[in-house]
Amino acid sequence: MAAESQMEQLIVENVMKELAKRGLMGNGSPNQVEMPEKAAGAQPKTEPYRESGDDPLTIPDITGIWVPNPENLEAIKVMKQATPARIGLYRAGTRPKTGAMLKFMADHAQAMDAVFLDVSEEFLQKMNLFLVDTMAQDKEEFLKRPELGRKLSREGEKMIKEKCEKNPQVQILVVDGLSSSSIEANVPDVLPALTQGLTAAGIKVGTPFFIKNGRVGVQDHVGKLLNAEVVVSLIGERPGLVTADSMSAYIIYSPDENTVEADRTVFSNIHQGGTPPAEAGAHLVDVIKRILQAKASGMKLNQ
Amino acid sequence: MNLKANISNKVFAFNSVKEVLAKANEEKSGDLLAGIGAASASERVAAKLVLSNLTLEDIYNNPVVPYDEDEVTRVIYDGLNTTVYNRIKNWTVGELREYILDSDTGNEDLKQLGRGLTSEMIAAVAKLMSNMDLVYAAKKIIIQAHCNTTIGVPGTLAFRNQPNHPTDSIDGIMASTKEGLSFGSGDAVIGINPVEDNVETVARILTTVKEFMEKWQIPTQNCVLAHITTQMKAVEKGAPADILFQSVAGSQSANDAFGVTAAMLEEAYELAKVKGTGTGPNLLYFETGQGSEISLDCHHGADELTMEARTYGFARKFSPFMVNNVSGFIGPETIYDGREVIRADLEDLFMGKLHGLPMGIAPCYTNHMKADQNDQEIGTMLCAMAGSNYFMGVPGGDDIMLSYQDTSYHDDASVREILGLKPLPEFEKWLEEMGIMENGRLGKRAGDPSIFDK
Amino acid sequence: MSKTNDTNYQTVISVGIDIGTTTTQIVVSRITIRNTAPGSSVPRMEITDKEVVHRSKIYFTPLRDHQIIDADAVAQIVLREYREAGLTPEQVDTGAVIVTGETAKKENAKNIVESMAGLAGDFVVATAGVNLESVLAGKGSGAAAHSREKHSVTLNIDIGGGTSNIGVFKNGQVIETACLNIGGHLIEVERQGDRITYISEPARAILRECGLSWQTGDMPGLDELKSVARLMAKCIIETITTENVSSITGELLMTPPLRLDYRVDSIMFSGGVADFIYGDFRPVSVSQVSEYGDIGPLLGWAVKEELSAAGIVPEKPGETIRATVIGAGAHSVDISGSTITVDKAVLPIRNVTVVSPFVKGVPESPGEITTAVHRAAQRIISDGSAQFVAFAMAGPAEVSFAAVQELAQGIAQGAADFISRDKPLIVVVEKDCAKILGQCLKIILGDKGEVVCIDQIVVGEGDYIDIGKPIMGGRVVPVVVKTLVFENTGARKD
Repeated sequence: MAAESQMEQLIVENVMKELAKRGLMGNGSPNQVEMPEKAAGAQPKTEPYRESGDDPLTIPDITGIWVPNPENLEAIKVMKQATPARIGLYRAGTRPKTGAMLKFMADHAQAMDAVFLDVSEEFLQKMNLFLVDTMAQDKEEFLKRPELGRKLSREGEKMIKEKCEKNPQVQILVVDGLSSSSIEANVPDVLPALTQGLTAAGIKVGTPFFIKNGRVGVQDHVGKLLNAEVVVSLIGERPGLVTADSMSAYIIYSPDENTVEADRTVFSNIHQGGTPPAEAGAHLVDVIKRILQAKASGMKLNQ
Repeated sequence: MNLKANISNKVFAFNSVKEVLAKANEEKSGDLLAGIGAASASERVAAKLVLSNLTLEDIYNNPVVPYDEDEVTRVIYDGLNTTVYNRIKNWTVGELREYILDSDTGNEDLKQLGRGLTSEMIAAVAKLMSNMDLVYAAKKIIIQAHCNTTIGVPGTLAFRNQPNHPTDSIDGIMASTKEGLSFGSGDAVIGINPVEDNVETVARILTTVKEFMEKWQIPTQNCVLAHITTQMKAVEKGAPADILFQSVAGSQSANDAFGVTAAMLEEAYELAKVKGTGTGPNLLYFETGQGSEISLDCHHGADELTMEARTYGFARKFSPFMVNNVSGFIGPETIYDGREVIRADLEDLFMGKLHGLPMGIAPCYTNHMKADQNDQEIGTMLCAMAGSNYFMGVPGGDDIMLSYQDTSYHDDASVREILGLKPLPEFEKWLEEMGIMENGRLGKRAGDPSIFDK
Repeated sequence: MSKTNDTNYQTVISVGIDIGTTTTQIVVSRITIRNTAPGSSVPRMEITDKEVVHRSKIYFTPLRDHQIIDADAVAQIVLREYREAGLTPEQVDTGAVIVTGETAKKENAKNIVESMAGLAGDFVVATAGVNLESVLAGKGSGAAAHSREKHSVTLNIDIGGGTSNIGVFKNGQVIETACLNIGGHLIEVERQGDRITYISEPARAILRECGLSWQTGDMPGLDELKSVARLMAKCIIETITTENVSSITGELLMTPPLRLDYRVDSIMFSGGVADFIYGDFRPVSVSQVSEYGDIGPLLGWAVKEELSAAGIVPEKPGETIRATVIGAGAHSVDISGSTITVDKAVLPIRNVTVVSPFVKGVPESPGEITTAVHRAAQRIISDGSAQFVAFAMAGPAEVSFAAVQELAQGIAQGAADFISRDKPLIVVVEKDCAKILGQCLKIILGDKGEVVCIDQIVVGEGDYIDIGKPIMGGRVVPVVVKTLVFENTGARKD
């Protein structure tokens, strides 16, 4: 009988792994069916507030199926595996159930915080990255005036000239873009993987640093300033509700006045639920090697 | 033409109609980004005052992009009904506003009026209207269109079921499609934005959705929102498409950036007539949004509202089945917060309808805007009151492929019940047969996507 | 913006060769692999289509006598069918030769498989084993797809000449398999005559149970033959309907019985006998029944009778007699993840023995990793039985750079004694981390040896795998897992 139970265990394990990989599994059982019941708080509470010692509440897990007595429960399980969309969560009248509403709010809050909060100083210190400003004074200006995020501030230009190695083969930039949280989530794995791979290949890597309130185009400014052969920007993507932590890598070969967007090679969707950051770093090494060899990036690389 | 005004003992002088139009706009981040918006509240009112005294002929003589330089301007002017225009060209914009709002001015009057107005005139009057003016005026105008079913029937509110998926997974798309249908969403169209803009993907999605529609006898339209040339290639290879989609803008240069011309759209319409699966006569679907021309730097110094109006002037040439406005999708550099997006949605709905277009609205927002779900819901309810033909339907309001928030399947059902609106007639009948709707409300089986997996 | 892909689309020719108890067949499939990742993402290659482009005639399996397969004759069949399909061995990218059912027990089964591997293209491999056969048959018959489309449990029984292979599928995935030593060819009868020419061992058990003691040369009556077939059919129905099987069924089961602790929604039959279950064959005489020289048609009829008695209405399969070979040709090859580390020069590598060094996930310290890897390799290599070893693991609990770096150090040290110029370090991880793990390993190993590090393949201790040459511009490698994990976990009958 050992064979069967091991097989079952294997299958269950694989399903769980798969669910976890797709971010479909929260704390609860992946396929729990929640029947509509009266909320537990329906009885009036008269006791005065006191420290209960309970664990803090967590945001409801929406990986379950909340449709009461569905026509085909199995079918909804398969549907939920096929898409990260918010489905099978039923309704309160025509409105979302409380758990689904709270989860949506929590996800939106995370997305807003990713955009509007800054990368922490502790993080930059830990990663040994110094901070450079763009022309955008604050987040509001950064969001309303994209062109300001593409230019370094005067102060920033000076700092880069002082602190960075000139004429590197590859200059790595960390840019907050539209998600500070994606930087904190992914850079600790992408950066060492990328640096290790490039260095092992005998490629001269410049001094990496962090640009605050920066856009993709700021890499052109840096590239020209330092005379870098290739500039790689690790930059936060506009957050969605599924994840606020997705990062992109934009790579440009020898940027100048004539650089257009099609000249950039881009890899998006770098995060634990997409391409894992360490793996992405190693993949970028291969891509950069090809770019250095072809002396071109973007559309020109593929021609 | 008097381009000066005195507000609180301060005189504001403007150099051109284009400048007056820009400064008369309610505040939008895009106009400030372009450096053309009013610098103060007083300047804004001064511009509105000047604008209210301009005649329609003044505006006719000053298109924001010259006729000779721009295909969009030519489409607008060549399609103008000169009989109507000549009758009203001496009206001021202020008089135009009052005529539109007059209790004796009805649907037919407004539809005829619209034929004699250029897009700049419609933009001008929108700038003189408050949010309630816009709702009041838009509500009067009824624009219907027909593909397989008729959209815009009075007393109805339709929805586009938008089951997008981040990797175009057919199973994923169909899962969300079923969820949406189980909430009564999908009578306007089942329309998917693909990630991959290629013929194979487009054909695969079109075929799958069409087969599903046929299997369950769903009275609606299918569409895949790839570039129009990709859809045309798919249709030529035999893929079943009821309506063809394209994003359009308010200047020739912006349309160039989208890779689209009037000739291309005419060709697409002809192809849909001879090879498409839609009955017609309306076979196209356009998406537009305030700010796209400014993001592309193709606005010719004009404001984003006026450019949006010109987009409608361009679109009406092709008798679309639906036009959808996604102003909230473009980003904070053109629409910064909830207040701006609600205003834009109401302006666009009014302007589209006065152009004679079957308008729908996506009162949406992105995560880098200062807007939230409450703003979106206010916008949705107002646009529904103003007689939007349809909204989007996205699972849980979260579009996992385009990473923005739009109206949800839940919102779709809610707005119908709040305002006593019904699905399109054929679709309502189907929903009742499926047990999804009972007596004009969601039925017992609503919200169970597995009713299609019996 | 652009993506840096060499290739987004490729087709691979896969051949399946099934040498069964009664019949031998060949099927050629075209497998389409595509980059399914959206625009700017890191590519993700997936098998998107499988199409059968050539089906051979159905040959009787050439045997010299009941114990030995006629290898030369089989080779002739393969060559002839290649010509028919317009293929040369070089054009074949991958595939599987499987020797199935009773034939797998023949003395020279292993040899024939080896000779075939050379003849049938660069990457065609051999595999056998009753559980794998059950899975392949269920995939080939369409039962797996049926369960996926209907979101249900579909049970497939492939009744061939020597065995009945049962595969149970839920939502497209196999959940259980079993095999019963019952088939249409267990008793051979003079073709269109009525004299018994051969009685196999399992058939003797059935005869004993029926109180019959036939010998070769006997001429049984139709009613007696029917009663034998009915008992065989009863054993089959019992196997798929209850866990508590009778002693005769238990004797004929080559695996533990099915657990059946789930609801079975549909039952499907494939294999040569299936055509007589779905057809309207009615036995009228022994000479009519023995058209193919065995009792296959009669067994089909008996199964149909027993089904109807049990009130079971079987689902129609997409394929019957060709199910296993289609399964072998189209469904045996898998592809690795799309970010991997491989040295082209050392591929393909065949018959790699898989070891799982870590019982419960990757240990905390590099020292423990080293010890576990070393011990696992020693176990296999010390007895000289394995030429190539692959270290299989799920991957670090969290795929962080630091964790991968530690894992690489541990593996490199633990495997150091077993790596040489002609023996690359082979690592198979489940999680998407083969690129970074491979990068770390290469840096640590330097020029001591090559690294083959692939991911998104699930294998376990005791599996054998073949790793093919990279395809899709070098991004992915085809992998054939020749034994399924649960086949090697010991217990057969208890």
